[in-house]
Amino acid sequence: MSSDTLNLTLRVWRQAGPDKPGGFCDYQLDGVSTHMSFLEMLDVLNEKLIAAGDEPVAFDHDCREGICGMCSLMINGQAHGPDRGTTTCQLHMRRFASGETITIEPWRATPFPVVRDLVVNRSAFDRIIQSGGFVSVNTGNAPDGNSVPVPGNRQEVAMDAAACIGCGACVAACKNASAMLFVSAKVSQLSILPQGQPERSARVLGMVAQMDKEGFGSCTNTSECEAACPAEVSVSHIARLNREYMKALVFADR
Amino acid sequence: MNALLRILGLPACFLAMIPGMAPVVRALSSSVGQKLLMAASGLSLVGFLVVHLAGNLQLYAGEDVFNAYAAKLHSLGPILGIAEVGLFGMFALHIGLAVSTAAMNRTARGSAYAMKQTKQGLFVLPAGGASNWMMVTGILIFIFLVSHILDMKLKKGFGVDYSAALDASGEATNSFQAVKAVLQHPAHSVLYIVCIIALGIHLSHGIRSALQTFGLHHRNWNFIFRWSGFLLAWAIAGGFISVVVWAMAAKNS
Ligand code: HEM
Ligand code: SF4
Ligand code: FES
Repeated sequence: MSSDTLNLTLRVWRQAGPDKPGGFCDYQLDGVSTHMSFLEMLDVLNEKLIAAGDEPVAFDHDCREGICGMCSLMINGQAHGPDRGTTTCQLHMRRFASGETITIEPWRATPFPVVRDLVVNRSAFDRIIQSGGFVSVNTGNAPDGNSVPVPGNRQEVAMDAAACIGCGACVAACKNASAMLFVSAKVSQLSILPQGQPERSARVLGMVAQMDKEGFGSCTNTSECEAACPAEVSVSHIARLNREYMKALVFADR
Repeated sequence: MNALLRILGLPACFLAMIPGMAPVVRALSSSVGQKLLMAASGLSLVGFLVVHLAGNLQLYAGEDVFNAYAAKLHSLGPILGIAEVGLFGMFALHIGLAVSTAAMNRTARGSAYAMKQTKQGLFVLPAGGASNWMMVTGILIFIFLVSHILDMKLKKGFGVDYSAALDASGEATNSFQAVKAVLQHPAHSVLYIVCIIALGIHLSHGIRSALQTFGLHHRNWNFIFRWSGFLLAWAIAGGFISVVVWAMAAKNS
């Protein structure tokens, strides 16, 4: 067994505000427990910085259990760090070796401007969802659970797409900063389910238009998004988005 | 970047002025629309390459057969002209969209990462799979294209001696001899082989990518999609390279 603590050099991106210049700062952090999560390690760093009277490193987080999609760090050039199917908050420090230098950067994409240090503004995703990533239902009593039948295999595919937590790692990892995996996950999920049918063609056209308007790149089918996605959303959903888009262009009534 | 995008968008603007075309242009101007056009133009060019290779392989049947084929092609007259305009259009569309989407992608990233690594395992080339080399290989194909038209169509290949291909009136009309003259020129054989390898790399991602862009993705069929694209790419490249090697060997024997 290797020892239970690590001595690390952290190269952290520091940026005082959206329009301020940014740069890397090096911090030495000794005695990091291998049982910590990556975010707990940053908490320890921040406690040290605060104790020394320095400004703590700003980073996004909320649930710390891989479901909210808030944590968003480029760790040694990999979105959410080296593991597949894992968010930054689920990443353990035992994945690193003592003496290592860890480079930590924010997501880099023009539609995701840096708010401060490692925090980026992902409102662009919210606006894409607002442009079609929903179903319209009447309020009132919840409908009976089995009144709208959905075959099991469709449920499975829709659920695989619905696993997207909106973290933005796909954009961060893509060499084109394309949001196709995120957009396709929602388009796919709702195009498969009966509840999504009324808005089906308007949804795909609206969401693609908003995605372009936000300034995301175009997809070159490199599949880096799929490899980086903590929810393991597959590029098969991008193919479905392309099919939905073609169908909407040619067959939609309006 | 914006100025570049505006210039590249000019043909689309003119097209949109034709009555009835505006909605089509608008629909295909989105990022997904542009990729659909790239895939369509790319696959059309692949279709052309297959036909072109079939023609070229007739070199192996000897001088008479090949020249008869070339004569027949030229006897098509205006039809050949129309086909050439169409081909030129496909190249222009494909290259224009390649540059426009690449500019879009660069703007979308903004500032570069200090460190960037991939999580994908299977990599054919250093620093990423063939998909990371589309622009580089595309530019090599373009350089090849310019040289190829000068060499074979205009018979003005740089440093090539066309004397074996001349007819009584002093024009280089013997296609078989002209091809040999070009391919036996050392600088040309190197350029051709390098650029055709680039073509093989380009298509080994391009064909599969185009299928995915057209929505063809199914776990039962992905194996076929992936490998048929790869095999077709290298069959085309291998076929063309074999012609270059054949001409070089003919020179030395
Ligand atoms: C014989 C010539 C060529 C053929 C047969 C060809 C074929 C293809 C195909 C089938 C695709 C995939 C379409 C897609 O899904 O996007 C593609 C993509 C692409 N091509 Fe070409 N191409 C040719 C020449 C060129 C040239 C001259 C350039 C650039 C100057 C170029 C640049 C690109 C780029 C940047 C992409 C997009 C990359 C991607 O989707 O990953 N190509 N090409
Ligand atoms: S598709 Fe995956 S990587 Fe992209 S936002 Fe959703 S969970 Fe994150
Ligand atoms: S903090 Fe919620 S997913 Fe990481």
